[in-house]
Amino acid sequence: MIAAATGFSQTKIEYAAVVPMLVIFGVAMLGVVIEAFVPRRLRYVVQVAVTLLGLLAAFLTLIFSARDHKAVTAGGSVVIDGPALMFQGTVLVLSFLAVLVMAERFDTPSIDAFTQSGASVPGSPMETNAVRLGATSTEVFPLVLFAVGGMMLFPAAGDLLTVFIALEVLSLPLYILTGLARRRRLLSQEASMKYFLLGAFSSAFFLFGAALVFGYAGSLNFGTIAAAVSAGSGRDGILIPGIFLVAVGLLFKIGAVPFHSWTPDAYQGAPTPVAGFMAACTKVAAFGAFLRVFYVAFPGMKWNWQPIVVVVAILTMVVGAVLSVTQTDIKRLLAYSSITQAGFILVGVVALDRQAVSGTIVYVITYGFATIAAFALVAMVRSGGNEATHLSQWAGLGKTSPVVAALMALMMIAFAGIPLTSLFTAKYAIFSAAVGHGGTWLALIGVIFSAVAAFVYVRVIVLMYFSEPTGDTVVLTPSALTGIAVTVAAVLTVALGVFPTPLLDMAHNYSQFMR
Amino acid sequence: MMHLGGAESTLFFFGAPLSVVGALALLFARKAVHAAMGMALCMIMLGVFYIAEQAEFLGIIQIFVYSGAVMMLFLFVVMLVGVDSSDSLVETIRGQKVAGLLLSLALIALLVSGVSKATFATGKGLDAANAAQGGNVGGIAQLIFGRYVWAFEVTSALLITAAIGAMILAHRERLTPKASQADWSRRRIREGVNVAGLPAPGVYARHNAVDTPALLPDGTPSDLSINRVLKARGQVYGADTQVAVSKEIETEAGDMSDANRGEQR
Repeated sequence: MIAAATGFSQTKIEYAAVVPMLVIFGVAMLGVVIEAFVPRRLRYVVQVAVTLLGLLAAFLTLIFSARDHKAVTAGGSVVIDGPALMFQGTVLVLSFLAVLVMAERFDTPSIDAFTQSGASVPGSPMETNAVRLGATSTEVFPLVLFAVGGMMLFPAAGDLLTVFIALEVLSLPLYILTGLARRRRLLSQEASMKYFLLGAFSSAFFLFGAALVFGYAGSLNFGTIAAAVSAGSGRDGILIPGIFLVAVGLLFKIGAVPFHSWTPDAYQGAPTPVAGFMAACTKVAAFGAFLRVFYVAFPGMKWNWQPIVVVVAILTMVVGAVLSVTQTDIKRLLAYSSITQAGFILVGVVALDRQAVSGTIVYVITYGFATIAAFALVAMVRSGGNEATHLSQWAGLGKTSPVVAALMALMMIAFAGIPLTSLFTAKYAIFSAAVGHGGTWLALIGVIFSAVAAFVYVRVIVLMYFSEPTGDTVVLTPSALTGIAVTVAAVLTVALGVFPTPLLDMAHNYSQFMR
Repeated sequence: MMHLGGAESTLFFFGAPLSVVGALALLFARKAVHAAMGMALCMIMLGVFYIAEQAEFLGIIQIFVYSGAVMMLFLFVVMLVGVDSSDSLVETIRGQKVAGLLLSLALIALLVSGVSKATFATGKGLDAANAAQGGNVGGIAQLIFGRYVWAFEVTSALLITAAIGAMILAHRERLTPKASQADWSRRRIREGVNVAGLPAPGVYARHNAVDTPALLPDGTPSDLSINRVLKARGQVYGADTQVAVSKEIETEAGDMSDANRGEQR
């Protein structure tokens, strides 16, 4: 071969801007090394400490380094701008709480939510043996960190290739975590399988769409795509299917109808803290990426994609709210609730302006805190050694364990969007973005289906307070880990409802995409 | 439209149907092995097309990695799981197959109509790019380690995750030290069961393998002489036929048969 005609020019990476992601990936790899070299009985303590410190360190670097170095960097692959910082910071804070909940042991020597031997057949002698000999599954902590890394890159990716890789980096650990529940393992493995197959399918759609968009614009970079779209060419025939296929991949992660079918099964089968982590953090990252792709790369095609997003938003609200009414399992109910909430956020996303970006940021933050706490509370309520997920098992909880019932009621009130809770603020922010841009009727549909969804939440509250306790439902006393996470989430849920201005201002200040 | 050379169009007109046949075989083959071979054929033909289109490196990698490594690994798995095993193809939701077919046809129609409407500029070929970077390899290296270095580095997180996932879901961690031969021997003597070890499998005139049970003094086959895995799979060779055959041979040879034994005495 001939010697390279042009020399190799190194791509400049603004390390000060990407250092939070580097910290997360670095600590994740450290976690893998810990898993290999630290004795089994020390692993839990070391892993939890390292993971929490890593998340903390990443958050500090985000505030003290990345915040002052907003940049389009790594050749355009990474864009650290206001929304990226907000979404990354949100992911870090929420996953800190999620890790606290995941590390809960209750009164057993190992992590309560995860199986001690993922490789053994459920119910086999090998599984019993692994439990007896104290096998650990502390690998979940590095996996969570890898997922967090992907979630941080997802909303900060500056081209379609990086979006795709971030999508895979965040999804793959979640597929594995979903299959590691300690109880009802067959259900968990089935959920993991479904999530994996459907996720792979949606990734293929995304990739197909990205290829078509590349065929149109000759580039994967959002800025170049936007320029090519506004310049126009005779190839709209491949751009429009391309945009829709990319949207399929992103809406799948958001959990919007008709790409929602995995959500109830995956949330029900997954270990409860993982379901909380998925519901909160995946939603943050996916909405971040959705906003960046459609606001930065495709604003010129808004007449084509806005109607589709409107239809998806309406479908998501209707299907989510109506089906949540029929649920009898609290985890499936929360899953359908998360679908409904995704519909509300999509109502704002249609507006295509800064107000929509800040509304989405506020919504995913407030929803994230409430949902992590809700799933943490579900994990505490037990019946006969299993999690009491059937709604009838929650009857009379207000009498037997007033604290858990009160906290759950608070989260349900928040989900319903009652004033003085954080999600009221969020709904106000997101619907006013829609109203400001001719989407008043859409916001009206949103309000109507908020009311339908509120019926479900009120039903849970009524069940907890106005029914007689039945069966052998007990509430475990959590350690400080879950205690802190739930307390922080509950305090913020109230505080952000009573004093919403700081959050709204901050979201507004960080809502400008860098192009 | 770019004009294709004679050799290239000939290659395409022979190769394209072959790759489509491979892809269809993947979809419609009843046996997993045939599906895998169909996919391998499709992958190899794609590699050939890449090479014909001046992307030699991509073509070679396609054949090495996909047809060579991935597909062969897939075949190994199919063989290990059992060539005969096939999944149930019964529909659990009524009309799912028809609905799926209709929807995918709709998607195909949509994409084909969209793509066929698009007008493309004249193809440029890879000459300019190859000349600028000193060939395929240089060009790809320039992109991987230059413009897309961040994406390339982040892929490592994906690979680590995949490795950890495989370990968690498939690796059975040894929690107790492995019993040595001496441990087994001590245990046998302590428990007083099969102190001399388990009986060896049977040896017959025409058959001598681990799947043939040995005969006990009273003529019945010994269950202990057969590996329990073979027994569970139903792959144990019947001792009766072996005994019958042995007797027949011995009779023909004129020695040791029960009938003769008495006369000889």
